[in-house]
Amino acid sequence: MIKKLIFYYTSNMLTIVLRSILIYLIVLFLYRLMGKRQLGQMQPFELVLTLIIADLATIPMAEISVPVLHGIVPLFTLVLLHFALTLLCKLSPKFSRFVSGKPVIVINPYGIDYRALKNLNLSIDDIMEAMRGAGYFKLEQVQYAIMETNGKMSVFPKSEYAPVTVGDMNLDVEKSVLPINVVSEGKIMNENLKIAKIDKNNVLQILKKAGIKKVKDCLILSVDKAGGVFAQEYNKKYTTFQIEPLGQVSE
Amino acid sequence: MTKFMWFQCLSIFFILVILVLVCVLEDNLVSSALHDVRNYCYQIEASVEENGGILNNDVARLVDNMEDNWFKYEWNLCYMVNHKSIQEIGVEISKIKTYMEENDKKEFMASLELIKLYEEQYHHFMGASFHNIL
Repeated sequence: MIKKLIFYYTSNMLTIVLRSILIYLIVLFLYRLMGKRQLGQMQPFELVLTLIIADLATIPMAEISVPVLHGIVPLFTLVLLHFALTLLCKLSPKFSRFVSGKPVIVINPYGIDYRALKNLNLSIDDIMEAMRGAGYFKLEQVQYAIMETNGKMSVFPKSEYAPVTVGDMNLDVEKSVLPINVVSEGKIMNENLKIAKIDKNNVLQILKKAGIKKVKDCLILSVDKAGGVFAQEYNKKYTTFQIEPLGQVSE
Repeated sequence: MTKFMWFQCLSIFFILVILVLVCVLEDNLVSSALHDVRNYCYQIEASVEENGGILNNDVARLVDNMEDNWFKYEWNLCYMVNHKSIQEIGVEISKIKTYMEENDKKEFMASLELIKLYEEQYHHFMGASFHNIL
C-alpha cells in the first residue's frame, strides 16, 4: 500500500518534472524563433505576447489534469499571430504606427513639450530619469529627446555638450580591429580559428610566447588583425604583446 | 533568405500544420467518442425495454462494450481534453454496473440519462461555438 502510494506520488512529481522540461524547451524554441528583439527592446504587442506566454506556459506545467496541448496550442497560435502582426507591420507603416505607436519628441529646442508628455502619460521625473540614464543630467544639455515606441528615450545633446570624437579632432588613428578569442577556458575555439584564418600550430606558438605551456592552462587568448595579443593563464595576470600582424585575420 | 529566415518559415509552416492537425484530430476524436456513447445509451435503453429489465445478458454485454469503448477513447481524449471534464461519464458507467448487479432499474436508468446529459454538455463546452469563444 505504502509502495503504491509512494509510486503514485512519485509519478505525479515525475509528470510535473517532465512537463516542465517539455514546456521550457518549447517556450525557449518559440523565443528563439521570434528573434532577439523579444529579449530586449519590445514593442507593445511583443510585451503583451511575452506576458501571455509566461502565464500560459505555467498552467499545464503545474496542473496535471490539464493536457500539455492546452498550453502548447495557444502558445503556437500566439506565435503565429505575432508573425502575422510583424509581417503586417513591415508591409504597412500605417498599421505599424497603429500597433506600436510612433516616436514622440518630448524635449525640443524650446524645452519640454508638456502636451507630448501628457499624451504619453509621463511625468517630468520620468523624463529626467530617462535623461540621466542617457548620461545627461541637465535639461539645457539636451537638444532633442525622443520617446521611442519601445519605451526607451533617445537623447540628442546640444553640440557643446556632445562627446568629442576622434573625427572632431581630426586625429589620425589606427583602424579599430575586432579581437577574436581563439582559446577560451582551456579550449581552442575551432570556429574562431577559421575566422582568424590561423591554425592550431599558430595558437601553440603564440601561447609559448605568452609563457603558457598547455592550451588547457590558458583562460583566454585573443588575437586581432593588427597582431595584438591578449593572453591570460588561469589564476595569473594577463599579458599583452604584439606579434607580427597576422594579415590574414579577418575583420 | 538567410538560414535563420528559412528556419523561421519552416517552423511557422510546421506550427500551422500542427495546429490544424490538433484541431481536426480533437474534433474527430471527441465527436466519435461522444457519438458512440450516445449510441450505446440508446441501445441499452432499447434492450432494457425489450427484455423488460436490466438483468439480462444483452444489457450486460452492451454495458461492458460501452465501458470498454469509453475507456479506450478516454485514454486518447486525455491528450487533448482536461481529464477532470471527461471523468463523469466513466464514473456513471461504473455506477451502472453496480446498479445492474443490484438489479436497481430506477438508478440504472437515472445514470443512463445522466450519461446522455453529460454527452450533450460535452458537445456544448468542447465545440468552437459562439458561446465558448466569447
